[in-house]
Amino acid sequence: MSEKSSEETPILEIDNLSISFFVRAGEIPAVMDFSCKVMPGEAMGLVGESGCGKSTVALGIMRDLSNIGKITEGTIKFMGRDMGEMSQAELQDIRGSKIAMVYQEPMASLNPAMKVGQQLMEVPIIHEKVSKDAAYARSLEMLEAVKLPDPERMMRSYPHQLSGGQQQRIVIAMALLSKPKLLLLDEPTTALDVTVEAGIIELVKDLGKRFGTSILFISHNLGLILETCDRITIMYSGEAVESGTVEDVFDRMQHPYTQGLFRSIPLPGADKNTHPLLAIPGQLPLPNKRPRGCNFGPRCNHYVEEICNAGHINMIPVTGEVGHNSRCLRFQDIDWKALPENIKQHAPVEAGRVILTVENLKKHYHVAANAIFGGSDTRTVKANETLSFTARESETTAIVGESGCGKSTLAKVLLGLETATDGTVILDGINIESVEVDNRTPETIASLQMVFQNPFDTLNPSHSVGSQIVRTLEKFNIGANQKEREDRMLELFDLVKLPRAFATRMPRQLSGGQKQRIGVARCFAGHPKIVVADEPVSALDVSVQAAVTELLMDIQREYKTTMLFISHDLSVVRYIADRVIVMYLGHIVEQGTTDQIFAPPYHPYTEALLSAIPIADTSVEKKHIVLDGDIPSAMNPPSGCPFHTRCPHVSEVPGGLCSKEVPPFRDLEGGHQVKCHLADDIFAKMEPVISFDKKEKNPTAA
Amino acid sequence: MEYLSTFGVITATLIQLWPTWLALAIMIALSFSFQDRLGLYGRLFDSGVGIVGVCIVAFWIFTAIFADIIAPFDPLAQIVVMKNKLPGAIEPGTGEAFLFGGDKLARDVFSRVVYGSQIVLIIAPAATTFALMVGISLGLPAGYYGGKTDTILSFLANLVLAFPVILLFYLLVTPGIAETPIPYAMAGLFFLFPIIFFATLFFTRFKNRPDKLWVQLLITFVIGGWIYAGLVFDADPLGIISIDPNELNIFVAVVFATSPAVFRIVRGLVMDIKTRDYIAAAQTRGETPWYIMLWEILPNARGPLIVDACLRIGYTTILLGTLGYFGLGMAPESPDWGTAIKEGSRLLRLYVHPALFPAAALMSFVLGLNLLADSLREESMKD
Repeated sequence: MSEKSSEETPILEIDNLSISFFVRAGEIPAVMDFSCKVMPGEAMGLVGESGCGKSTVALGIMRDLSNIGKITEGTIKFMGRDMGEMSQAELQDIRGSKIAMVYQEPMASLNPAMKVGQQLMEVPIIHEKVSKDAAYARSLEMLEAVKLPDPERMMRSYPHQLSGGQQQRIVIAMALLSKPKLLLLDEPTTALDVTVEAGIIELVKDLGKRFGTSILFISHNLGLILETCDRITIMYSGEAVESGTVEDVFDRMQHPYTQGLFRSIPLPGADKNTHPLLAIPGQLPLPNKRPRGCNFGPRCNHYVEEICNAGHINMIPVTGEVGHNSRCLRFQDIDWKALPENIKQHAPVEAGRVILTVENLKKHYHVAANAIFGGSDTRTVKANETLSFTARESETTAIVGESGCGKSTLAKVLLGLETATDGTVILDGINIESVEVDNRTPETIASLQMVFQNPFDTLNPSHSVGSQIVRTLEKFNIGANQKEREDRMLELFDLVKLPRAFATRMPRQLSGGQKQRIGVARCFAGHPKIVVADEPVSALDVSVQAAVTELLMDIQREYKTTMLFISHDLSVVRYIADRVIVMYLGHIVEQGTTDQIFAPPYHPYTEALLSAIPIADTSVEKKHIVLDGDIPSAMNPPSGCPFHTRCPHVSEVPGGLCSKEVPPFRDLEGGHQVKCHLADDIFAKMEPVISFDKKEKNPTAA
Repeated sequence: MEYLSTFGVITATLIQLWPTWLALAIMIALSFSFQDRLGLYGRLFDSGVGIVGVCIVAFWIFTAIFADIIAPFDPLAQIVVMKNKLPGAIEPGTGEAFLFGGDKLARDVFSRVVYGSQIVLIIAPAATTFALMVGISLGLPAGYYGGKTDTILSFLANLVLAFPVILLFYLLVTPGIAETPIPYAMAGLFFLFPIIFFATLFFTRFKNRPDKLWVQLLITFVIGGWIYAGLVFDADPLGIISIDPNELNIFVAVVFATSPAVFRIVRGLVMDIKTRDYIAAAQTRGETPWYIMLWEILPNARGPLIVDACLRIGYTTILLGTLGYFGLGMAPESPDWGTAIKEGSRLLRLYVHPALFPAAALMSFVLGLNLLADSLREESMKD
C-alpha cells in the first residue's frame, strides 16, 4: 500500500478539514482538523458513534452541507484537484458521475413514483448522453453485476415492490452505473437484516476489485469495517483520533477511545461472568461544550492533568508503522495490554425453577382485504407455529431471528396484547395464553414486563420521566400513597444509576442511553418475574450499549429475573444468553444452551446467521455462507420446511423431502433440538463457523 | 359639517386606540424579557412572521377587551345628522369625530368595528373550542380502536362534510328551524362533550386516588353544569351566562360544520401516535383505552392541533362574516363585522366606508391568525 501511494495521485485527499454549522446559538464545529487519503481501489472505513461528524465529512465531500453548514478550513482534493475551487457546474458534473453516494435508507433514495428501470437509465442518459437503448443495456448489465435475480423484471418494478435488500442493491447499482471513481457508503446496511447485510457486504467488497472504485465506508460497526476496508479512521467528537491500516488499528491500537470501543463490543471471548464488557464512562461532549485539549480526556482512564488538557493535540505518527496516526499525547506511555482494575467478576447464576412454559403456541392472523365489504376473501398469516419452550428463574433465554420471524408476535402474546390462536402459555402456574392484558390482575401484569427497542420512542415525550414511573407503580398497586410511590421511584433511579434529580426532567432532556435506563427502571418497577427485552440496546451507540447491557444483567442477578432477550445480533446473544431459541418464519428451528447453538452441529439457518455476523477481531476466521434471496413473506410461506427456499443444504436431503414436509423436532444430546431433515452423519460432519485461526492472543478480547 | 383631514383621521384613530397600544407594549416587553422561559410562545418572537402574527391577534384581543374605553360612541346610537357622512366628520353635539364616518343609519362606523370585535372574538374562538372538543372526543376512539367504530364515525363525519355548508347553515339558522327545539337539542348534545371529556380525563387518571378525583370531578361538574345551564336552558342561577337564541343557533351550526374536520385530523394523528412504543408500554402495564387516548396520545398531538385551532378560528371568523352577510343568525343591528359588511354593501356604489372598515378588520384578524399558525408550525418543527 505504501509504495503505491508515492506514485499515484490519491482519489481523495482531505487536508485539515473543518466544518461548522452556523445556527442561532452561534458556530457549532462539527468536524475539526480532519485529514485522510483514499487511494485508487482502496476502501477506507470511517467509524464513530452518532454525533462524531462522520456523515458530515461525507456531506462535505459532496458539498451538500445545507445552507447553515460551511467548510471553515482545509481542502478536499478530488483526483488532485481542489474541490473548493471548482465552479457549481463542475461540481454538479462530478456528483453522481465521479462521486456517488449510497445512503442508509434505500427507500428514501429511490423515487417511489418511477419504475426502477427509468431511474437507472437516467444516470447514463444524463451524465454521458447515451441513447435510451444503450442506457437500458447498461442498466441491465449492472443489475446482473449486483446479483439481482431476474433483472428484466426488476427494471419494470416500482421500488415498493422490492424488498429492502433488493432496493439497496439497486441503489448501489445506480451509484455504480456512472463508473464513479469514489463511492461514499453511509451506513448502507444498518436498515437491513443480518443475512441480507452479509450479501450486500460481499457485493461491496467485490466492487473495489471489479471496478477499481475507491470506497469511503461510513459505519458504526467495527466488524463490517474489518470485512470491507483496507484502512480505517476512527472519529470522536468531530476529530479523527486514530487512523491506519485495519490490521494496525485492530491489533495494535494506539488511542484510548479505540480501545474503549473494542472493549465495549461483545467479541468472542467476552463472557458475562468472567470477562464482562467495559463501557466507556461518561458521555460524548456536546459540540459547543468540548473540553480543552483532548476531547476524550474527561472519559479517559489514562488522563493526566496538565498534559492532556494543555492545548490542541495534533495527529502523531506511530513510529514503525507507516500511515498509523494517533491523536493521543501519551500513547507511548500507555500499557495497551493492561486491563483496568476492579473488573467485576460474577459467579455463574444457577437457573432456578421453571417460570414460563410455552406449549405448542400458535398465533394466526386473519387478514381480510376489506373488513366491511367483501369480507369472505380472508387470508391467514401464520406468525407463530407450534412454539414450545421453557424459561427458568434467573436465566436469560435469547430469541434470535430476522424481521418477520415472529419474535415480536411471540412477545405480544406473552404480554397479552394479543391472544394465542392455540396452545398454552403458563406463567408460574397460571394460564395466560388467552387472557388479554385488560383482564389480567395487576400482579400478573407487573410480573411480566417489557423493555422496548427504540429509546426515543419508549418514553412519552409529554410527561416527566419521574411521573411516568410513578404512574407505573400506581398501576401495579405498589405503595399506599403518592409519597411512598415517589420514594420508590427515586430508589428505582438509584437502581439504574441515574441521578435522582432526573426525575423531573422531560424525556427530550435525556440522552438515548439515559432514556433506555428509565425504560429499564419502569420495567423493573413491579419486581417482574419475566422481562421481555426487545433488542434493548440495538439502537444505542456502542459504548452506551455495553453500559446498558451490564446494567440489565446486574439488575437481573439481583432480582433473579427471567429474561427473554429478543435480538438479531448473535454476538450480543452469545455474550448475554444462557439458552438460545432460533426462529425462522414463525417456527423455532433450533434451541439449546448457548454453547450448543454456537458449536456444530447447527441448523442450516443458524449456520448462515452465525457466518453473517461481522466480528471485529482479526484473529477470527469465518466460514462464508451467503444466503440467496430474501425471507419469504409470512402471508405466503413455502410448503414444507420454511427454510428450504434458501437452504444451502437442501440438495443433501433425498427425495425433495424439504419442500414436502415440515421436519419434526429432533433431539440431539443434552436437550439440544433441531428442526431439520438432514441426516445424522451430515450433522456430525459440520465444522464450526467461527474459529480462531491465528493463535495469537488479542489484547482486547482478553 | 366640519371634517378632519386624512392625516388627522389617522392620528386621531391611533390616539383613540391608546389602551390597545399600551397593553401591546407591555405584552411585547414582557414577552421579550422572559422569552427564554416561555417555551413555544417565546420562540414565536424569533421570527418576523411570528411577531407580526402575535401582534395582530393581540391587537384585536386588546381592542375587544378595552372596547368600552376605545369607542367614543354607542355602537347602536343613531345621530341623525351623521347619516352616511364620510370618515373624519365631526359630530356637532359632542365635538368628537366619526373617525370612520357614519353608516346609513347614522351610527359611528369606528365604534361599531371596535364593538364588533367583541362579538367576533367571543364566538369564533368559543365555537372552535367546542368543535375541537367534539372532534377530539370522537376522533380519539375512531383512530385508536379502528375497525367498526372508525368506519361508523368516519362515515358520519363524511356525511356532514359532504353536505353543502351554506345550505346547512340556511337550514339550521332559518327562523322556521330555529323555532323548533332542534337547535337547543343539538346545543344540549354538543355542550355535553366538554363535560364528558373532562370528567373522563380526570377519572381515568385519578381513579385510584379518590382524594384528588372527587375535587376535580366536583369542579368539572359545577363549572360545566353552570355553563351548560346558562347556554342550553338559559337558566343560569347567577345570571352571568346567557346567550341570545340567534347566537346559539350560529354557535351550534358552526360547531356542527367544523367538528368533522377536527375529527379527521385527530383520527389521523391518533393512528400515527398509537404505533409508538410508549403506547405499547402503557398497554402492557394495563392502562385502559381511554387513559391511553387522553393522557398518552392526546398530549403528543397538541402541536398540530394548536396550529389547526389557530387556522380554524380564522375560518370560523370568515364563516361568521359570511353568515352575517347572508343575514343569517345575528340581529340586523348587531355590530359584528359580517352583518356590518352586509348592511354597508347596500349603498356600496355611493359610500364605500361603512363596508370597507369592517372588511379590513375581518381580513387583518384572519391574516394575523394565519401568520400565527404558520410560525407556530415552523417553530414547533424545529428541534
